[in-house]
Amino acid sequence: MSRVRFVVCAAALVLAAFALAPTVHAQQKITIGVSLAQDDNPFYIAMLRGIRARAQELGWEVATVSANEDKLRQINGVQDLIARGVKGILISPIDAVGVNAAYDAAAAAKVPIVSVARGSTSTNQTIHVAMDEKQIGRDIAEWTAKKLGGKGKVALLMGPSGAPTFKNLGDGYGEVMAKYPDIEIVSRNDGPLTRERGVKQTEDALVAHPDLAAIYTANDDVALGAMQAVNAANRKGKTLVTGMNGVPPALRAVKEENLAMTVELNPVEWGKLGVDVLATYLKGDKVEPRVFITHIIIDSANVDAKLPKT
Amino acid sequence: MQDKSKRLNLAGHMPLISLIVLCAVTALLTDRFLSPLNLTNILVQSSIMAVIAMGMTFVIVGGGFDLSVGSTAALAGCVAAMVMLNAGIAAGVVAGIIVGAAVGFANGLVIAFLGVNPFITTLGTMVLVRGVVFLITGGAPVAGETGLPDAFVAFGSGRFLGIHYLVWVPALLLAALSFVMHATPYGRRIYATGGGREAAYLSGVPVRRVIASTYVWCGALAGVAGVMLAARLQSGQPTAGEFYELTAIAAVVLGGAALQGGEGMLYKSVIGVFIMIVLGNALNLLNVDSYWQRVAVGAVIIAAAAADRLRSGRDR
Repeated sequence: MSRVRFVVCAAALVLAAFALAPTVHAQQKITIGVSLAQDDNPFYIAMLRGIRARAQELGWEVATVSANEDKLRQINGVQDLIARGVKGILISPIDAVGVNAAYDAAAAAKVPIVSVARGSTSTNQTIHVAMDEKQIGRDIAEWTAKKLGGKGKVALLMGPSGAPTFKNLGDGYGEVMAKYPDIEIVSRNDGPLTRERGVKQTEDALVAHPDLAAIYTANDDVALGAMQAVNAANRKGKTLVTGMNGVPPALRAVKEENLAMTVELNPVEWGKLGVDVLATYLKGDKVEPRVFITHIIIDSANVDAKLPKT
Repeated sequence: MQDKSKRLNLAGHMPLISLIVLCAVTALLTDRFLSPLNLTNILVQSSIMAVIAMGMTFVIVGGGFDLSVGSTAALAGCVAAMVMLNAGIAAGVVAGIIVGAAVGFANGLVIAFLGVNPFITTLGTMVLVRGVVFLITGGAPVAGETGLPDAFVAFGSGRFLGIHYLVWVPALLLAALSFVMHATPYGRRIYATGGGREAAYLSGVPVRRVIASTYVWCGALAGVAGVMLAARLQSGQPTAGEFYELTAIAAVVLGGAALQGGEGMLYKSVIGVFIMIVLGNALNLLNVDSYWQRVAVGAVIIAAAAADRLRSGRDR
């Protein structure tokens, strides 16, 4: 009985091996590794699309590993990429300190490792393709304060604790809001960048403060959740929700005036820039340790030009 | 009779056979799999989960269940980091392990002496402990102004005799704990309790104390894993260890332990961990799409549980 099962298992594995075989053969080209913080967030999905598009133009292969906000898994994934023999790594680190072992592993194998979007404190980080986080936070706050006429209650839905990106965004935001004596920040919560969390925390915030004037969110997914809760509470137009990243569903929401504004970072361009920076580095040319991507504020005034063409 | 015992023997080695087949197939598909770098990676990647799975084996063999190990590991890692920054490495490590054991002790008391269902109890502690981690850390990683002590960070990446420190820990624990489980009266009592609580009680085994003690082992080992995790992540991470309980349970079942208790061995659970890690490693090396990876891992867990069911069905 067990022998039969063993044979069946072995046969199944061999069959699976043949099914997978075609993916392994085309491995002669330059391969770069990609380890993003999440594989189910539209921002990173778009970034990966940009990376793949530019890599294809260069004739490069792209190998991806997923981490889904698990730091240990991200370290393991990067190790797997190195073992696979990639020539360079694009990483969006989950945490500024927690995955430094991944950078150390890359440095030990002499593989350049470029942080895209989020950055790391590791001295082994080759380049950081970053956004000017504090400035973006300030810009969102200025825009919001102007819309509110300089007064009202504001709730902040920040990002995951520990990622400096979200701390810097929030700090820039707070810095500007501090200049408006009639604007009161009533809550400030850390959490994952999910729609579900946006709904939940906004529902709670609206119970605690029915006259909430604006909600800052660190990410469009959170913003879309917040927007759902605001609409369900019949506060559309009364509680402004601001997003961040400019993913297509958020742009549509701005068009429908459910979302007050978002900031376009264009993850597709960001991914391409990451590949370009890595290509320049691999050629042996000099690259600055920090490269900034430009950001644009999108509201009802300019959203039409930004909507994805369908 | 002779024939039957032989068959059972082969079935008993299914985890090892599965692991070998998995490795062989992967090695055939990519020559990078057997490179020294990759083999070292697999050992290091398995180390922390192996420690958690060993603790889980104690609980599952004793007929219980523990969902709180991931949260406990995060708590232990953060406490270790915080104590370490103030009182030195040794104090931090000890504090982390004690905190883990304390969580296990609380689980054990509620489950064994109040008779609350282990699934519900540890589901409760899983959420509660995670809350405590966020409370004491304020939600931010613990790394101090200048990071954790250098010697501790080196423990997370350094080697002794060519093998990572992180791998020595489960190796030594496996040897010591296997002795406890298989060569002491206490170990036999765990098997007896998990195999049939009533019968064990009637033959004089202090079942409540035995059950409670398995949770203390599990908590303490989650604490050890938490300290290792802090070294690996160069910080105490309040969000670390999410879903580790599920991976650990899957690994223990992959290793042939019966979820109804009384059956299971530490080294086989470690093999179960290797199966999970090698599977992930192989899929990464073969560049399998990450969405397909989730499908594959889920399918393997169900297959293992089905094998467990088939085996216990046949024995009856």
